[in-house]
Amino acid sequence: MTEPVAVTGVGVVSALGHGAEAFWAGLLGGVSGLRPIRRFALPSGAPILGGEVPPIAVADVARSAIGRRIDWVSLLALAACRLALQDAGLDPARLAPARTALGLGSAWGNLRETTVFLDRLFARGAGNPLLFPNLVFNAPLSYASIELGITGPTAMVAAQEASGEAAIAWGADVIEDDAADVCLAGGAEELGPVVHQVLRETGVTTSGVPRPLDPAADGACLGEGAAVLVLEPLARARARGAKVYARLSASSGRAVPAPVHGWPRDPAPVAETLRPLVRDADLVMAAASGNPALDALEAAALTAAFGERRVLVTSVRGTIGDFGAVGALAAAAAVLAVDSGLVPPTLGLVPPARAGLDVVVGRARRAPVRVAVVDGLARGGFCCPLRLEAA
Amino acid sequence: MSGGIAITGVGAVSAVGGNVPALTAALLEGRCGIAPLTLFPYQGRSALAAQVPEGVTVPGTLPAVTARRLSRPDRFALAAASEACRDAGLDGALRHDAALALGATTGGMFESEEAYRQRQTGEAGCFRLSRLLGTSITTAASVVSQTLGIYGPQTTVSTACSSSALAIALAADAIRRGRARVAVALGTDGLCRLTYAGFDALQALDPEACRPFDAGRRGLSLGEGAGALVLEDVAHARARGVRPRALLLGHATGTDAHHVTAPHPEGVGALVAFRGALAAAGLPPEAIDYVNAHGSGTRQNDAVEVAVLRAVLGSRLARVPVSSTKSQLGHTLGAAGALEAVVTVLALDAGILPPTVGLRRPDPSFGELDLVPTPGRRLPLAVAASSSYGFGGHNVTLVLGRGEVP
Repeated sequence: MTEPVAVTGVGVVSALGHGAEAFWAGLLGGVSGLRPIRRFALPSGAPILGGEVPPIAVADVARSAIGRRIDWVSLLALAACRLALQDAGLDPARLAPARTALGLGSAWGNLRETTVFLDRLFARGAGNPLLFPNLVFNAPLSYASIELGITGPTAMVAAQEASGEAAIAWGADVIEDDAADVCLAGGAEELGPVVHQVLRETGVTTSGVPRPLDPAADGACLGEGAAVLVLEPLARARARGAKVYARLSASSGRAVPAPVHGWPRDPAPVAETLRPLVRDADLVMAAASGNPALDALEAAALTAAFGERRVLVTSVRGTIGDFGAVGALAAAAAVLAVDSGLVPPTLGLVPPARAGLDVVVGRARRAPVRVAVVDGLARGGFCCPLRLEAA
Repeated sequence: MSGGIAITGVGAVSAVGGNVPALTAALLEGRCGIAPLTLFPYQGRSALAAQVPEGVTVPGTLPAVTARRLSRPDRFALAAASEACRDAGLDGALRHDAALALGATTGGMFESEEAYRQRQTGEAGCFRLSRLLGTSITTAASVVSQTLGIYGPQTTVSTACSSSALAIALAADAIRRGRARVAVALGTDGLCRLTYAGFDALQALDPEACRPFDAGRRGLSLGEGAGALVLEDVAHARARGVRPRALLLGHATGTDAHHVTAPHPEGVGALVAFRGALAAAGLPPEAIDYVNAHGSGTRQNDAVEVAVLRAVLGSRLARVPVSSTKSQLGHTLGAAGALEAVVTVLALDAGILPPTVGLRRPDPSFGELDLVPTPGRRLPLAVAASSSYGFGGHNVTLVLGRGEVP
């Protein structure tokens, strides 16, 4: 019998602000984090919405020498780590280095400096040695482990849109294996101009607002952010008198048939993967982003997995946008929903939702949430569900 | 990890050829795959790389349109994984429930750079979405799982140059946890401008072919390719009458928390990984017959690595052959851990000591080391270790043993 995994801290930086409080208050209040993108110029005149994280003072987050060079996506990850530790009542200076683990997920890593590096390389034939270390895919992991002095198990995990869930699933394994006493697990993603432009030109993103699970949806909005959960063995968390938000169970994601760059066409294998997890679920934090292919797949898979049961469904992606590590923020929302008995609304959806799903819209709904499932769907045929249960 | 996990199949794509027989021959001949870089134009400190030759093919089950769009590392991954599955005799049913763990660092970066360059110079009006989507390091896992029908637990990890050693560790963990009986672990990476210019800008590339552990070593030589291993529950392999090529006896990781590119000067994380892997295998340091070193060829890495080996093996070090496969295949980054694990499996299975090629004058400060100069030699081995050190201080050691007859 493996030790149950407790979630004892939540750290989030998102378009709704810094800290889990700002995130949760924004989600519950139905406040959209999506605003006209300001960080980079867009070719056409029309404002395009995106979920940008407000600036972070480097010195607040990176206090060692790494602060001189740290890049934005690494800073997002580190900020979420610090917020999560603070929330868990853990002082980074008092963590046992070898018994602390760190798992971070990202689909794209450092987007902005990659284009800066390539621009100079193409123009001048030489790379910038100061930028290159930041372009190594695991830079966020390296920076955070150095800043926080973590020498236990570490992993940078990538799984397209389920990169956050996959990293959290890795973290649950580390705690279950007793390979660490404390594991920081989550994900970070940044909004970059080139990916944004390409997805817009190819019609993946909407020119309006995203409408997750709305049959009229015509695309997602891109966002960025980071969320990190503090995971501990339940017994240890209880022994130190920590607040236990929820219990986490996960088992590394599974592959399901799909085109290599696309969403599964057949919802049945997805439904089969989710069915045992949603059997007694009160809430599903959906992956739906307003991307019609994803939303249709997810609605069909959830309907099949639920059977006769009515299960509440909501998605954070209408509020903070879509990005590779968004699942870590969805997991943070699921943790907070289990803890508070409140379910935030899905912004942008005008009911009825696809497949008649019971999606929370308008105002936050009070409901007993004993079990919340983040379904963790990703392109290329990957499904990495996380199950959060009242402690 | 009592009794270990069977390694029942291997696959490899590298500069010395597109399959395991080509790799085995190169190990026996001491052939070096490092040659002038031709994949893209670049003028810098080095003009060499261990580039995979043209003509590495992918299995015919992919729609032609998809096959054409695959990035080079995705093709390498598919070829290596297919070879490993064939080698292990995995049929469709065994593949269906197998786990898949993959390590990589840059995905389809080369193809994305090319699309980006064409766009910036006005050669092409718009990006092809497929190129951009192929940039993600996750694509290789999707390509392998969807093409070979591998629908068990799946994970893609990236810890720089130890990525696929970590993938092997996670694949073994999936079997140990009972989530799968069979797992495919692999690493893949392709040469691209970003890493080439980046390592060059850090002055980490040797202008000549790299010479790990040599007094005159001046850096690494970049390479590309893919390595794949089929891991299997020992009882499962025995039940289907498959002889393991080797056993994975133990693995461990260790983190430096020191610097984003430089190893810890005393190799603290690497030491934790090496000692942890021995402990997991339940073996004393004396059991080690051969070490397949990280051996990148940078001044710093090799010095730290020898210090770690001295700390672990003590005075026995002089009697333990140590060699660097990077002297033949270049540093294949995300693929290195898996390719070097494949080489270690071949060493155990065939009783060969892979050489360190290109040695002119071994670094006198590593005086006692047996670096297996070219052309290598034959020696029956029982236990071998393979270490991988990644940027950011992410270190992994695997301890492998000779396979048993079932």
